[in-house]
Amino acid sequence: MPPSRGKSETGRRTVKGRSAPRESEKAASTPAPSGQDTSAEATTASYIYGIVPADVELASDVHGVGDPPGKVELVRHGEIAALISDVPVEHPLGRPQDLFAHQRLLDDTAAEVPVLPLRFGAVVKTPQAVVDELLTPHHEEFLAVLRDLEGRAQFVVRGRYNEEKVIGEILAENAEAARLREQIRGLPEEATWDARIRLGEVIGQAVEASRETDTQTLARALASVCVAVAVREPSHEWDAAHLALLVETDRRADVEAVLDEFGHQWGDRVTLRLSGPLAPYDFVGSPE
Amino acid sequence: MTIVQPSGGGQAGRSSGSGLADVIDTILDKGLVIDAYVRVSLVGIELLTIDVRVVVASVDTYLRFAEAVNRLDLSQTGQKGLPDLMQDITQGGSKSKTKGALEGAGEKLRDLIGEPEEEEEEEEPAPRRKRRER
Repeated sequence: MPPSRGKSETGRRTVKGRSAPRESEKAASTPAPSGQDTSAEATTASYIYGIVPADVELASDVHGVGDPPGKVELVRHGEIAALISDVPVEHPLGRPQDLFAHQRLLDDTAAEVPVLPLRFGAVVKTPQAVVDELLTPHHEEFLAVLRDLEGRAQFVVRGRYNEEKVIGEILAENAEAARLREQIRGLPEEATWDARIRLGEVIGQAVEASRETDTQTLARALASVCVAVAVREPSHEWDAAHLALLVETDRRADVEAVLDEFGHQWGDRVTLRLSGPLAPYDFVGSPE
Repeated sequence: MTIVQPSGGGQAGRSSGSGLADVIDTILDKGLVIDAYVRVSLVGIELLTIDVRVVVASVDTYLRFAEAVNRLDLSQTGQKGLPDLMQDITQGGSKSKTKGALEGAGEKLRDLIGEPEEEEEEEEPAPRRKRRER
């Protein structure tokens, strides 16, 4: 059942997240420190995932980062709450399981309620410190952003070029690239080092120019159906576009329609992938 | 995650898994930074993920693009069976010196942890939630 802090009332919205992985069952007997430890030698601290409205409820068996995964709890203050779990302070964090646990909890939450996602690795001493130092001083600010995010979620669009198609296009359009290709054809690597590097440079520049154009075109088209669009750095050299979208969740179909249109238009030149709903990682800023 | 087929048609398949590179890209780079809000009680837990990014020199990138042209040539000469083999060899041989930043990060993480790749695929269906209006 929900954490003791949260009185169950009708009207609360429940975030279930995922159950703990099986391997954690062996740790069920380990007493979970409840975070009231204020001694100087505290061995656990409070890992913070994100901030949600206080009317959110958490299912009983949601687990987060750490080994064994810590039980996720809500600590409330006024109209906002933080999603936290205990972590041992002496163990480093950042195993793939930790990264996935952090993101899954936030994305599962974002599918249901507004959430301000924190960057991975936010840890403070105690749940009380979360209230005193994070929730209390920034209550109004966080509440305003959460209200703004009501009914909205992030999606990420990635377009990936079909390598063969795009290289074919470049070779057909770029005389230098075509010449260099003939020059190195069939020759050993050592003999064509400079030509290879130049060819790669020409291809790279052409891909980059293509990416800029395609990204702008796609971003412009999506802007009409999204609350906001943020261009992300390409995370792969064959990326055609990488965009974060803030979307009214009931307009998701419109976003998909735009992407389908581009899918038709671009054919097998670009593969488009839409992920979401996600927590609005790209649309929450931090004060300077 | 929804896959939008390049041919369009709204055949949107669903899966909720996402790769390690995507996760690293998102939660290590984006989101609220706690340091900006909390100072006194901040606990500095060692993060394994801080130094995992591999910077790729541009020359490596160029050589990789040139390799891609080479692969195209091989596949166009119509030697059935050989192109795939060659591609594997080329990729295998160049792996140590040329990897993308994020692939590099993922590999390094896996090295640290000894985790197999793609272990993140979900075997359980995404939980259904009921949402009640306030």
